[in-house]
Amino acid sequence: MAWTAPKIEEVTCGMEINMY
Amino acid sequence: MIPENDIPRLLSGCRTKYDKVRGNWVLLAPERAIKLDDIGAAILAETDGVRSLGGILDVLAEKYNAPRDQISGDVVKFLESLRDRRMLEVS
Repeated sequence: MAWTAPKIEEVTCGMEINMY
Repeated sequence: MIPENDIPRLLSGCRTKYDKVRGNWVLLAPERAIKLDDIGAAILAETDGVRSLGGILDVLAEKYNAPRDQISGDVVKFLESLRDRRMLEVS
């Protein structure tokens, strides 16, 4: 796999956070 | 800016987890979650609280066969973004 700049995505939905 | 001799580590209560449903890694902190891509997960896999930033760059440069100078800025920016979110400390 080639190097690419890492991307992050903050989860803002409380219900989605609770799923983890 | 993070000196290469400094050692980054995730703060207590922060951990990575593989989301089998979506097929990606997430970084979890108390009541917070951040989705990672494969590169971000690879960086955190080397961020073991023992290895210095310089050591992490060495490993990733070899693993991805990429110029160290090229990945350095990306890794530092990534780690700083986690530090800004109080998920990571550097010492």
